[in-house]
Amino acid sequence: MQTVVLEAPERTAQVDSSAMDDDDALANAFDEAQPEDASDGDRSGRRRRSSLSPAQLRAAFEEQALPFMDPLYAAALRMTRNPADAGDLVQETFVKAYAAFAQYEQGTNLKAWLYRILTNTFINTYRKNQRNPYQGTIDDLEDWQLGSAESVTQGRTTRSAEAEAIDHLPDSDVKEALQSIPEDFRLAVYLADVEGFSYQEIADIMKTPVGTVMSRLHRGRRLLRERLADYARDRGIAVTADTPRSTR
Amino acid sequence: MTDCGCEKAKAELEEYLHRELSQQDFDDITEHLGHCDDCTREHLVGLTIIEKLQRSCQEQAPAQLRAAILAKLG
Repeated sequence: MQTVVLEAPERTAQVDSSAMDDDDALANAFDEAQPEDASDGDRSGRRRRSSLSPAQLRAAFEEQALPFMDPLYAAALRMTRNPADAGDLVQETFVKAYAAFAQYEQGTNLKAWLYRILTNTFINTYRKNQRNPYQGTIDDLEDWQLGSAESVTQGRTTRSAEAEAIDHLPDSDVKEALQSIPEDFRLAVYLADVEGFSYQEIADIMKTPVGTVMSRLHRGRRLLRERLADYARDRGIAVTADTPRSTR
Repeated sequence: MTDCGCEKAKAELEEYLHRELSQQDFDDITEHLGHCDDCTREHLVGLTIIEKLQRSCQEQAPAQLRAAILAKLG
């Protein structure tokens, strides 16, 4: 295994300062990314990749992990909101995943594990450099503090017009709307709606209770829905039949 | 067979969308949607948002990123 040790990443300062966190994160990722049926005992019965030669290990990694590069990059774009940082984040994720790959259980949820590493790396390396005034308290904020309308209760014709209006929006509007909602909400929505992860998997990836995941999803989708309606209105696509928004 | 009603359906539509309900609840909501236009329209908005998100977020990793990662693996 020693023969596959990787070169130190170029951005040493950043990596060093979070090395402990990252080690913990990886260790936790091993424990928590295991499927339930593997959690009851008999570790010796599980197949690790440590018996593979370095060449076999690399081949297995290329075959099993690298196909997730595109979705991980798309997720990284949602997190970092720019291509350069997204590329760095994905690269760092794969380097860490490869370093830990030999110890990773075969047949477990590799995709969720990779997203877990991606999310940890983002939080440890990128997010701490950002000054987000809401950080840590976003779940406690009221909807009105996030600029949310009071309710999405609308009439019949209105709502079917809404689905049609959203359907007509260009991809760029959808991405911008998603970018505009708070980070933790955005990530929960992305993981559920785009990647199709279960609530439990999202809870593991984001290290939060399932109830928090549900709350983030619910609020994130509602904010997103409002923003999409705003975009549609800006483009002159009728969302609310005749009724101005403020009086609904 | 008793309808679960709009209140329950609307409260659980999101979990319905994400397939996070028990089979019984899932069947109840499906049945309700079968004859409630209002909830069906609400459900359609949710489905549309998911479809739009999936179609919009399909970026491909740049070729040079792929190359850089392969190089890092040694």
